[in-house]
Amino acid sequence: MGKKLFEAGLVEAIELVKKGEVRITEIVEDYISRIEEKDQKIKAYLTCTFDQALSRAREIEVKKEKGRLAGAVIAIKDNIVTKGIRTTCGSKILENFIPPYSATVIERLEAEDAIIIGKTNLDEFAMGSSTENSAFFPTRNPWDIERVPGGSSGGSAAAVAAMEAAAALGSDTGGSVRQPAAFCGVVGLKPTYGRVSRYGLIAFASSLDQIGPITRSVEDGALLAEIISGFDPKDSTSSPAPVAPYLAGLKDFSSEIKVGILNEESLKGVNPEIISNYQNIIKLLDSLGIKWIKMDFPSWDYALPCYYVIAPAEASSNLARYDGVRYGFRAESRELSEMYLKTRTQGFGSEVKRRILLGTFTLSSGYYEAYYAKAAKARQAINKEFEASFKKIDFILTPTTPEPAFRFGEKQDPLSMYLQDYFTVTANLAGIPGISIPSGFTSEGLPLGIQLLGKAFSESELFKFAFLLEKNLNLKNNSSEINSLGRRKNEK
Amino acid sequence: MLNMKIDLEQISRLANLELTEEEKKILPDQMEKIISWVGQLASLKTSTEEKYTPIDFSLRLDEDEIKKSLPQEEVLAMAPEKEGGFIKVPKVLQGK
Repeated sequence: MGKKLFEAGLVEAIELVKKGEVRITEIVEDYISRIEEKDQKIKAYLTCTFDQALSRAREIEVKKEKGRLAGAVIAIKDNIVTKGIRTTCGSKILENFIPPYSATVIERLEAEDAIIIGKTNLDEFAMGSSTENSAFFPTRNPWDIERVPGGSSGGSAAAVAAMEAAAALGSDTGGSVRQPAAFCGVVGLKPTYGRVSRYGLIAFASSLDQIGPITRSVEDGALLAEIISGFDPKDSTSSPAPVAPYLAGLKDFSSEIKVGILNEESLKGVNPEIISNYQNIIKLLDSLGIKWIKMDFPSWDYALPCYYVIAPAEASSNLARYDGVRYGFRAESRELSEMYLKTRTQGFGSEVKRRILLGTFTLSSGYYEAYYAKAAKARQAINKEFEASFKKIDFILTPTTPEPAFRFGEKQDPLSMYLQDYFTVTANLAGIPGISIPSGFTSEGLPLGIQLLGKAFSESELFKFAFLLEKNLNLKNNSSEINSLGRRKNEK
Repeated sequence: MLNMKIDLEQISRLANLELTEEEKKILPDQMEKIISWVGQLASLKTSTEEKYTPIDFSLRLDEDEIKKSLPQEEVLAMAPEKEGGFIKVPKVLQGK
């Protein structure tokens, strides 16, 4: 074989194992040396599990009947619990936490013989868009290490882009899978709410959180999504709806679809290179004979304020459990109430504190109706608007982000960071699926992403459409060219 | 536009958080800005008075049956302090 094994994508590596051309231990060893070589610069991983990965590889190799993911080397965002493997959530408060059980998604991956190579960096408690809020260190964008990889699943996206894993899992509460996927030139799916079990995902905002795959191709994403999706009795919001064969169905695309695109008003203030890339994708739709119409989404204007009431409110409640009693960090104290106070004060970083305070405020007596109840109504209005739109169209096409990957320290003001979620947050509020795929490059060679939104439980259709666009854009293997880990100049 | 004053001292007490001197300087301004920004919602006339619910299928009840749970020692393994099968915490009430 001419190329290194880490260059093979998920589906490709699994095929090689199936054909008996390579051994799983060889793949794992290749990833280990890749991580050892590259991760000092990228810093995608908080914890590596090389020994466990190698011993699992040996076990799987001798199995007669291997699972569908035999040969898959996968990185896991560090807010998904893994039995016996440290899970920090990017926070000092969980720095030494070793979970006594695994998330359902981990059990599903392992049941299909996937190998977990490590836990990836994130903004503390998944609150952020750059990994700069990680309590440990920021992750760097493999396309330009002076820039952020996006967030909060920045470690997962960077690991996949730098070929330090074949694929990864992230979580998406307001865009945390799709935005880093766009910044790092990879594919990221936020599934429908209820599609993937959240059991074992450390809760941030429970009505918005979903786990999703981050992969080098749509095909890889379809396979990983298919494995992790489906009913789980351990998650009360898990949907009983059957899971379609996403991977096998990829090529059955019907061009009898209609796409909603954004009007000029919705693109105000968006980076010009993002807009011109968006227009190129619309031209591509024309050349493929796909019908589109311009649409107005008036409710999107208040989606971000709505999100920044709901998410911090839920977070303030969810994060009340970190009190130093049962697990995690405990501050030295003389009495109990002092212990709560000191543990939380010393254990949480500033963005987490900001959101807890914001949520505590909007839920507090006298303010609830004005903020939380109003946001819950705004959220329903957004949901109804999507429902009405999806009667006229099948998909909505948007840029994934308002700008390409920014530099470290560029967004000091919390509000300017919150605006990153403009295009992604509506999917979480309405519970619908969204996928980001690479759509081109800036003049400086930074990757750009395009987002497709579909109606609830239309993942299968989203994957088909994304697969078609990916094929016609033909950018698929670009990430394999990043070997210097520097930005490739003038790549278009 | 709604612009309510936030009493950070009271809110941080409710949230069991203490603010550092640095945070006491920066946070009031940041929080005012964020709260005034989310306050846009107040002036919004929503097309519906309904509130959103994240799932449209009814929640199911689990069968009342005994299932295997995590062993006590595994659950207690992560407790910062323990004694005789219990989690130990500092004094709840301060003695004189």
